[in-house]
Amino acid sequence: MIGRTLRHVVLGLIVFIWVVPFVALLTTSLRSELASQTSGFWTSYTPTELGHRFSTNDKGGTAEVTELTGNIFERLNKDEQSFPISGEVRSILFKGRVPDPEKPGKTELIRKLVPPGEEMAVRKGVFVFEANGDFTWTFAEPTMPKPKNLEAIIDQDPVFGSEAYVEVLFENKDVPNALISSFIVTIPATIIPITIAAFAAYAFAWMRFPGRDWLFVIVVSLMVVPTQLAFLPILQGFSGIASWAAALKAMVTDCGATQSCAYPSKTFASLWITHTAFGLPLAIYLLRNYIVGLPRELLESARIDGANHIQIFIRLIVPLSVPALASFGIFQFLWVWNDLIVALYIGPNEGTDLVFPIRLEKQLGTFKDQLHLLNASAVISMIVPVIVFLAMQRYFIRGLLAGSVKGG
Amino acid sequence: MIIYKKIFGMAAAAAMASIGYVGVAAADVCDTPSKLGEFGKYEGEVITIAGSMQGKDEENLLATASCFEKATGAVVKYSGSRDFAALIVADLRSNNAPNIAIFPQPGLAGDMAKEGHLTPLGDDLANWMTNNYGAGASWVALGTYGDSAGKSKFYGFPFKQDLKSLVWYLPEQFEDNGYEIPQSMEELIALSDQMVADGNTPWCIGVESGNATGWTATDWMEDLMLRTVSPEKYDQWVSNELPFNSPEVLNAMEVYGQFSRNDDYVAGGSAAVATTFFGDAPKGLFSSPPKCMMHRQASFIPAFFPEKGKEVEDGIADFFYFPTYESADLGTPVLGAGTIYTMTKESPATRAFFQYLTEASAHEVWMSQGQFLTAHKGADPSAYSSPALRKQGQILVNATTFRFDASDLMPGAIGAGAFWSEMTAFANGQDAKTTGDNIQAAWDAIK
Repeated sequence: MIGRTLRHVVLGLIVFIWVVPFVALLTTSLRSELASQTSGFWTSYTPTELGHRFSTNDKGGTAEVTELTGNIFERLNKDEQSFPISGEVRSILFKGRVPDPEKPGKTELIRKLVPPGEEMAVRKGVFVFEANGDFTWTFAEPTMPKPKNLEAIIDQDPVFGSEAYVEVLFENKDVPNALISSFIVTIPATIIPITIAAFAAYAFAWMRFPGRDWLFVIVVSLMVVPTQLAFLPILQGFSGIASWAAALKAMVTDCGATQSCAYPSKTFASLWITHTAFGLPLAIYLLRNYIVGLPRELLESARIDGANHIQIFIRLIVPLSVPALASFGIFQFLWVWNDLIVALYIGPNEGTDLVFPIRLEKQLGTFKDQLHLLNASAVISMIVPVIVFLAMQRYFIRGLLAGSVKGG
Repeated sequence: MIIYKKIFGMAAAAAMASIGYVGVAAADVCDTPSKLGEFGKYEGEVITIAGSMQGKDEENLLATASCFEKATGAVVKYSGSRDFAALIVADLRSNNAPNIAIFPQPGLAGDMAKEGHLTPLGDDLANWMTNNYGAGASWVALGTYGDSAGKSKFYGFPFKQDLKSLVWYLPEQFEDNGYEIPQSMEELIALSDQMVADGNTPWCIGVESGNATGWTATDWMEDLMLRTVSPEKYDQWVSNELPFNSPEVLNAMEVYGQFSRNDDYVAGGSAAVATTFFGDAPKGLFSSPPKCMMHRQASFIPAFFPEKGKEVEDGIADFFYFPTYESADLGTPVLGAGTIYTMTKESPATRAFFQYLTEASAHEVWMSQGQFLTAHKGADPSAYSSPALRKQGQILVNATTFRFDASDLMPGAIGAGAFWSEMTAFANGQDAKTTGDNIQAAWDAIK
């Protein structure tokens, strides 16, 4: 009983730890840029005290007045179409120099919070405001008031909006382009290694040929080669292929005249090849270990019935290996989808061909100045792996093998 | 000093006038005050450019390049990444060089020249720069590196400059508190003390910047070096004839420490300096209530203001020159930096593009788009998108004592390595002597 409670507590804690960053990201993506810069996401669900600077009036008034009225919220929301500020004005921070009562002839800096209804001297007038934001600024003699910026402490109501998503998805083509590019890279970079690895795994598991075990050991040991180590030689290889292709083109066409022979060496295909190469060792290892565990009787009866290797592979091995293929597919898909470093070094590097992680990194801007867009894009980029995972998840649970050996 | 007072006074007045940015789509960006020359036709030829600029800067670079495309028929492709420094090295070493690489730091460009990956731009361009850039000879020096045989050649074309030595503040805060703009370093320190006495915090300082953490602190150091030693000594410091642990350098570091390691002076206390993102630091000026009164940072910093620099147009934010000591007679030094355009794969169209960069018109296109300063004497200042930029541009063109960002000139391992990391350690409480010794040791190790 205690064990069960403990298990639930631990599970709950793990779920909580994993969910908090996502909730934070989602909340921040729905908040205004200013709000997310100035306060934590957890403050956004309840009314929060926040300081706001507002100007009393627009520049360049025309008439002299003795009284100026307005509303603090109207002034604050003047330029802002989205995320309107509403709530209750708690106080205004008053600052100014007044004659020092202790030292005649000197002035003293006064800073205090003025509550609603209390008069305060602003420039040469008297300023009074109410909790609902209405304020009056009266002057003894008619003046043309210069705008004055005041700091209001506002108990601000929660406000959310989807502006960032609209901007990212519809106003700008960068993120939709990156989504498409990422699919162009990810789908082949998942399917190609799975296909090759399934054939190889079958051969390693059920075919007899000299050096089989040694070859398998070599393939497995390739798993430890770090990707970063191989960037330079891989890049040199691709640029070699590109210049060979350019030379071939120059031989068969007259591209030399217009200097248009060059082939790019950083392309989607470079990414497919690289991801395939680095994904294969793990894929072969996983699939071989799965396939070698399939019941021998099943394969032997197939052979007795006259099936050759190809038939056994396509009719028996592939359907039986769907859980393993799906698990590796998810691994590879997530890895390629989230990959930044390989795409940066080896993938296409300009214009519309950037994959999602590079686009996300670019949204940091030279100056980290588009964070609100970054949060929204990050949520979008998370949705795809979640869908893939949910769609493939049943293969983890339902082993296709169950019942297949009946009568074998 | 009087000249600066005047210039900055005018800048403040002009900024109040509030002239809007010229929108990209509003008019033909290529329609500049100066006329564009002839470079020939390169129909369909592709020029690839790699750099670290992204976002607004990337848009502006493409706008500038689009006028070249229009004039010649060439196609310019740009790839910008914040990992430029790592990527360009891999690209150059694996024969994947773009036509043009835009280095944010001359140190790395020098390293690549030494490895033989850069193509010299030729004496014509060097001579042109000497004659047409303000303080031209020093710009040529910035782009001159040794090749694989150690022979010095002109490789880098500095285009787009930044002015450091500025202190940003909100005039209204100064008015409310009754503060005056300081005219000397002595006054600036007195003002800071006054702010502390009034219960305000004078400075916002942040040096965190990802894998470049510490560069803000090196800028402070460089500005203070220019204010405590002669320009000649500064040059010796850059070339390490004046070691990092010499009394002059340690003195400047101690002066910086008086600002950054004083809990009363810095918003959030001195412990916050190393962990505050440099782009968030100026936001303290605008927070409500303000976290600080002043922020020393280069001309690009309005991009980090809450409204991306609209504050400067509207006169809400302004800057003054980071003043010099009245007691030290060192004139009015100006510290700056810039991006360096190098040719990494030669082609006729690429040559033409460098020719295009000498055109006043090319500078004016970017000037009209936003944050951009140029030392090009022929570029029409009326093209600047805001009065504040115009005044900064004039300071740059008229500079007499002008020095480059020292960390950009030092070898990469120092200027983009030990100097940054050790200044961060200094912010975290390491003493000046150890900091100087450590950087010097790192320098000795690469000699």
